[in-house]
Amino acid sequence: MPSLSTQVTWIVVGYAVLVAVLAVVAAVRGHERPSWLDQMVWMLEVLLVVRALIGLGAFSGDDKPASTSTYVGYLVASVCVLPIAMRSIEGDRAVWSSVVVAVVAVAVGVIAVRLEMTA
Amino acid sequence: MTTPPRSGPHKALLAFYALFTLAAGARAVVQLITQYDEAPVAYWLSLAAAVTYALGWYAIREASAGNTGFASVMLWIELAGVLTVGTLSLVRSDWFPDASVWSDFGIGYGFVPLALPIAGLVWLRHEKRR
Repeated sequence: MPSLSTQVTWIVVGYAVLVAVLAVVAAVRGHERPSWLDQMVWMLEVLLVVRALIGLGAFSGDDKPASTSTYVGYLVASVCVLPIAMRSIEGDRAVWSSVVVAVVAVAVGVIAVRLEMTA
Repeated sequence: MTTPPRSGPHKALLAFYALFTLAAGARAVVQLITQYDEAPVAYWLSLAAAVTYALGWYAIREASAGNTGFASVMLWIELAGVLTVGTLSLVRSDWFPDASVWSDFGIGYGFVPLALPIAGLVWLRHEKRR
């Protein structure tokens, strides 16, 4: 059975893909960015924080990451990207703000995969 | 820090440029510090790519506010950089024992580094016509 961190990573990746797809759908439909999309983004952020906290535990165990600096870099990036992106589209609910959500959702999904690869 | 007041495709471009500044910059710094001797040329080129993305981010932000001058130069420099490094990585692979951000035209990043300056230039064209 995969470790807890691996399981949480795949939940994060799956959810990030879902957020990205729904953001693209919202953008294609041409409406304003729906508030439920914001809620989904913050839910994704909660999952990323949980993954990061589990990731920090990796340093106390015997199975330390191969490259500590790379691992910490991905860990920090994984929790910082969404809040910064949401700040950049604060007060902007136009169609292109949904595209920004799609871009950053894919980005944190990739970061989560890379995090797992360096763990 | 002031943000451009209006929405548009530049918001997505800015997100991409910010992400690539972070990705390329962090990668270059880590590799330059921890494994400098393996492929210094590739790692310095990664750092150059990161600086290009940071300047590209600024250029697009300025262009979205109406000052398109810097972006007209910067996006072409970026495209030239991707094409030059991408071509060199294929024809002079001995210069690249390890990959750079723009190696093989950004294959490690799903060719987004090649698509980005082109998308930026297309956007800039529309922006100038406005």
